[in-house]
Amino acid sequence: MSYFLKRTIDAGRNIGQQFLNNAKTTALQRVATKTDQAAPQVETRPTVAKLDPLQKSQLIDFGKYVAECMPKYVQKVQLTAGNELEVLIPPDGVIPVLQFLKDHHSAQFASLIDIAGMDVPTRPNRFEIIYNLLSLRYNARIRVKTYTDELSPVDSACDVFKAANWYEREIWDMYGVFFANHPDLRRILTDYGFEGHPFRKDFPLSGYVEVRYDDEQKRVVVEPLELAQEFRRFELSAPWEQFPNFRTNPATEEVVNPAEGPAKK
Amino acid sequence: MGMLKKTTGLVGLAVAPNAHHTLGALYGKIIRTLQKMPETSVYRRYTEQIVRERAAVLSQTKDVYELEQKINCGQAEELIIQAENELNLARKMLNWKPWEALVAKPPKGQWDWPPANP
Repeated sequence: MSYFLKRTIDAGRNIGQQFLNNAKTTALQRVATKTDQAAPQVETRPTVAKLDPLQKSQLIDFGKYVAECMPKYVQKVQLTAGNELEVLIPPDGVIPVLQFLKDHHSAQFASLIDIAGMDVPTRPNRFEIIYNLLSLRYNARIRVKTYTDELSPVDSACDVFKAANWYEREIWDMYGVFFANHPDLRRILTDYGFEGHPFRKDFPLSGYVEVRYDDEQKRVVVEPLELAQEFRRFELSAPWEQFPNFRTNPATEEVVNPAEGPAKK
Repeated sequence: MGMLKKTTGLVGLAVAPNAHHTLGALYGKIIRTLQKMPETSVYRRYTEQIVRERAAVLSQTKDVYELEQKINCGQAEELIIQAENELNLARKMLNWKPWEALVAKPPKGQWDWPPANP
């Protein structure tokens, strides 16, 4: 919050200074603003999306509101990409938090847009489950994230959102995350008899089997994969930096963090 | 007004014959459910505030159109749906007890991005 406040105050001061020091601007700017003295702002990055400070402050307020209402389940609230609100919860809180966001008067996130999965093998709980919600009433979006590993099941959101049924089947198919109390947890995208979960990071790009049409047997046969080349072990650690964009500006802005740090009040 | 409301214009949502009565009953039920929560619960405080505001508008107005204008959150039939949802939520909240302390801390590095190297 303080980070945000400081930024807005700084921005305001910059505008004010620019307005006052208009006479001292560079030649280029003087040409550009000669006709219109009231608008000295020169568009420097016209293709970059502009952030609405009002919307951002509303998102921050709403993030705090959720964290206050559900202190039992909210581990952290953060903003990513400037205007995307994320609520990070433990796997026990999936149903309460989603139900709260759906049914509360001032939330009304009645549409489940998508459920996504993510695999980060270096973490103790390697999978993240990400719920994207939309509130048509308030024209707002929110993202709810939780975590799990290969074995521990996550509560199915089917009771809250009917739309969760197929999304959870997809995640089960692709990542092998088990959803407890799901009405019909089956494969959805992969072929009949497919083994493994293709979106896991340890699933080989080439897969385990190959399919071809056999002329003698007059049918399609499935055989273990035979690579024409011998297996080579590649050095996978890249010589360059993986996330250079996050070196100076962090990926997320923290709104509330009840799990660590001091309490918000 | 005087004109009879024929449709809400929303598929599957019929005109409520007596919106004031239905809403009043629902808001009463929500308040009574919230009373069972502890005073310190922030959810209870905020919800009570919202519901009491709406109930106050409800008691001040006689006309459905005026009610919709003053609450400014959709038609009366939608307000009824919102109140029903809130009532269900409040009843479930009594079991979940979300006002308690955090149930599980995240494992170290769980929410870090970019992730730490192996």
